Amino acid sequence: MRNLFAMARRIIRQIVRDRRTLALLIIAPLLILTLVWYIFGAKTAEPKLAIIHYESSDYLSAFKKDDYQRMSALQARQALADKEIDAYIDLKNPVSVHLEGSDPSRNGLVMNKVQQSMQKIQQINVTSMKNQLTDVIKAEQKGMMVQQQTIRQMTEAMQRYAPGALAQIMQQAPKTSQPEEPKTPEKVSLDVSYLHGNDDLNTFDAFGPAMVGIFVFLFIFMIGGVSFLRERTTGTLDRLMASPIKNYQIIGGYMIGFGLFVIVQSFVLTCYIAYVLNIYNVGNLLDVLIIVFILSFSALSLSILLSTFASNELQMFQFIPLVIVPQVFLSGLFPIDTLPGWVRAVGNLMPIHYSTEALRNIMIRGTGFSGWWFDAAILILFSVVFMIINIFAIRRSRPVTD
Amino acid sequence: MSYPIKGEHLHKHFKKQVVLDDVSLTLQEGEIYGLIGPSGSGKTTLVRILLGLEKADSGKIELFERRPTLNAFRSLGYMAQSDALYNELSAYQNLEFFASIQGMHGKEKKQRILEVAKAVDLDQHLQKNVSNFSGGMKRRLSLAAALVHSPRLYLLDEPTVGLDPVIRRKLWTLFHYLKGKGATIIVTTHVMDEVAQCDRVGLLSTGRIIAEGAPKALTAQYGVSTVEDIFIAIEKEADGN
Ligand SMILES: Nc1ncnc2c1ncn2[C@@H]1O[C@H](COP(=O)(O)OP(=O)(O)OP(=O)(O)O)[C@@H](O)[C@H]1O
Ligand SMILES: [Mg+2]
Repeated sequence: MRNLFAMARRIIRQIVRDRRTLALLIIAPLLILTLVWYIFGAKTAEPKLAIIHYESSDYLSAFKKDDYQRMSALQARQALADKEIDAYIDLKNPVSVHLEGSDPSRNGLVMNKVQQSMQKIQQINVTSMKNQLTDVIKAEQKGMMVQQQTIRQMTEAMQRYAPGALAQIMQQAPKTSQPEEPKTPEKVSLDVSYLHGNDDLNTFDAFGPAMVGIFVFLFIFMIGGVSFLRERTTGTLDRLMASPIKNYQIIGGYMIGFGLFVIVQSFVLTCYIAYVLNIYNVGNLLDVLIIVFILSFSALSLSILLSTFASNELQMFQFIPLVIVPQVFLSGLFPIDTLPGWVRAVGNLMPIHYSTEALRNIMIRGTGFSGWWFDAAILILFSVVFMIINIFAIRRSRPVTD
Repeated sequence: MSYPIKGEHLHKHFKKQVVLDDVSLTLQEGEIYGLIGPSGSGKTTLVRILLGLEKADSGKIELFERRPTLNAFRSLGYMAQSDALYNELSAYQNLEFFASIQGMHGKEKKQRILEVAKAVDLDQHLQKNVSNFSGGMKRRLSLAAALVHSPRLYLLDEPTVGLDPVIRRKLWTLFHYLKGKGATIIVTTHVMDEVAQCDRVGLLSTGRIIAEGAPKALTAQYGVSTVEDIFIAIEKEADGN
C-alpha cells in the first residue's frame, strides 16, 4: 500500500513540477474544444445571391431584395468570377441557376435558398393559373346564362303552343342537382416537434459529446503514454524492477497519480463545456463528469499498454493515427449504420464509441443512470482489461522473479 | 562464508550475437569484485542477468543463496549505466521516492537521505531540479539512490564514468567504507587504477570470463605489469596455440 502511494505521490509531483504537461493536460483540451465550438457552432452564413433578367419577370416577387441583389447579366458574371456572390439566378424562362461551385457546403446553402424561392415561384404560378381558370369559368358561366335565357324563352313558347310535349320532356329530363360551392382547401402547415433536443441544436451540440471524448482521450493518451515510456527509456523502470515494488503497485500508482489530474481535468472540462460554451445539455452534469472520468482511465491504461511497444517518443506518437483517428471516425461523429459489418465491429472495440453513446444519452436525451450504465461498464471493463495486460507486460521486464 | 550472488553457466544471446557464453561467477561476502572488459563484451548484460532484469537463455542464478525473490531486492542496490533519474523532480524528491519504494519511511528516511547526499557530495544541491544537474552530479545522485536503503549487495555499472579524479577517489573511499561495514560490491569499470582497488577482478572478453582473481596475483601469473596487459597476453597465448 505504501509503495502504491509513494508511486502515486511521485507522479503527482512530476506533473505538478512540469508546468507544460500540466497545461497540456488541463488547458489544451479546453482550447481545442473552444476552437471546435466556434467552427461547428457558428451560425451558418447566408449565401450571397443575385438575380438577372428580372425586369419583365412575373417571379420577381419571389426574390426578396434583402436576399437577392439585382444585377445585370454582365455584373453578375463578373461578381461570380470574383467570388463576390455565390450564385446568380437567371429569371428568363426557363429559370436557371449559375453557381460559383468551388465549395460544396456553400453550394448546398445556395440550393437551399433557391429552393425556397422556387416554391414561391410555384405559388405564383398556381395563383396565376387559378386566376386564368376563374376567368374561363366566368366566361362559360356567362355563356350558360345566355343559353338558359334562350331555353326559358323556348319553354314559354312551348307552354303556350304545345304543353303536352313539354310535360313529357320535363319528365324524361334527368334531374340536375345544383353543384355545391367548392370548399376552399384548408391551409396546410407543418407542425414540427422534436423528441430530443430542439431546432436550436447546432452542429456542435450534436458533435459535442463525441468531441469531448476525442480530446480527453487524445491528451490523456499522449501524456500518460509518454510518461510511462520515459520510465522505460531513462532506465527508472529498471530501478523499480530492481526494487521490491510489485508490478500492480507500479500500474496502480500510475492510475492513482494520474487519476488525480484526470479528476481535475474532467471537472474543469465538464464545467467549461456546460457553463462557458453552453453546450446543449439536458442531463445531469455529474453524469457527464463520471463518463469523462471513466473514459480518461481507459485512455490512460491503453496508453501505458501501448508504450510497452514503443521504444521512443516518436514511436509513441505514431500510435496516434492508429488509435485515435479510427476512433474519431467510428465514434459516432459520423453515422456508421451503413458501413460493412466488420467496420462496425471495429467501432465496437473503441472506448470513445461508448463515451459518445453515453454522453449523447445524457446530454441530448437527458437519460439518467439507466441510459449510460452499460456504456460506463464497458469503459470500465476496457480499463480493467488494459491494466491487467499492463501488469503482465511489465513482468517481461522482470523475468526472473514473479 | 556465504555467497550474496551466484551465477552458474549463464548463456545469453541477442538474435544471432552470443553475448554471454557459459559465464559462471560467484561473489563472496564483503568483497569488491571488479568486472572489466572491452566495450560490448557483455558486462552490463551480465549484471542485468544477475539482477533478474534480463532472462538468461540458460543457467542458474541465486541471490543470497536462494532463487531471486522480490524480497531479496530489498537488500540490493543497483546503479545502472544510465542515470535513471526523474528529471522533473528535485534531487531530494528522487531520493525520497527511491527510499520509499524500498520500504523506508519517516524520520529514518529523511536522515538517511541527508546521509547519502553528504556521502556523494550533493547535500548542498538537494533542492535543485535534476534537469539542472551536471552529468557528474547526476551520476552521483544515481549512486546515492542505489545506496539510500543501505543494501548488503551493490551492483554498480560504471559508477565513476564522467567524474573528476577527486570525486572518483572519494567514491572509492566510500566503497571501501561500505565494504568495511560488510557489504558486497560488484562494479564494472574501464579505469585501471580502480581495478587495482578491487579484491578480485573478472576479465570478460567476447562473452567469457577469461581470467579471474586478485589483481596482484593475476599480473604475477601472466608476468605483466598491469591488468590491462593480461588481455593482450591472453590474446597472444591464443594466437600461439
Ligand atoms: N537489448 C539488446 N538487444 C540486442 N543486443 C544487445 C542488447 N543489449 C546488449 N546487446 C549487445 O550485447 C553486447 C554486450 O552489451 P553490453 O551492454 O553488455 O556491453 P558492455 O560490456 O556493458 O559494454 P560497455 O562497456 O560499452 O558498457 C553488445 O554487443 C550489445 O550490442
Ligand atoms: Mg555496459
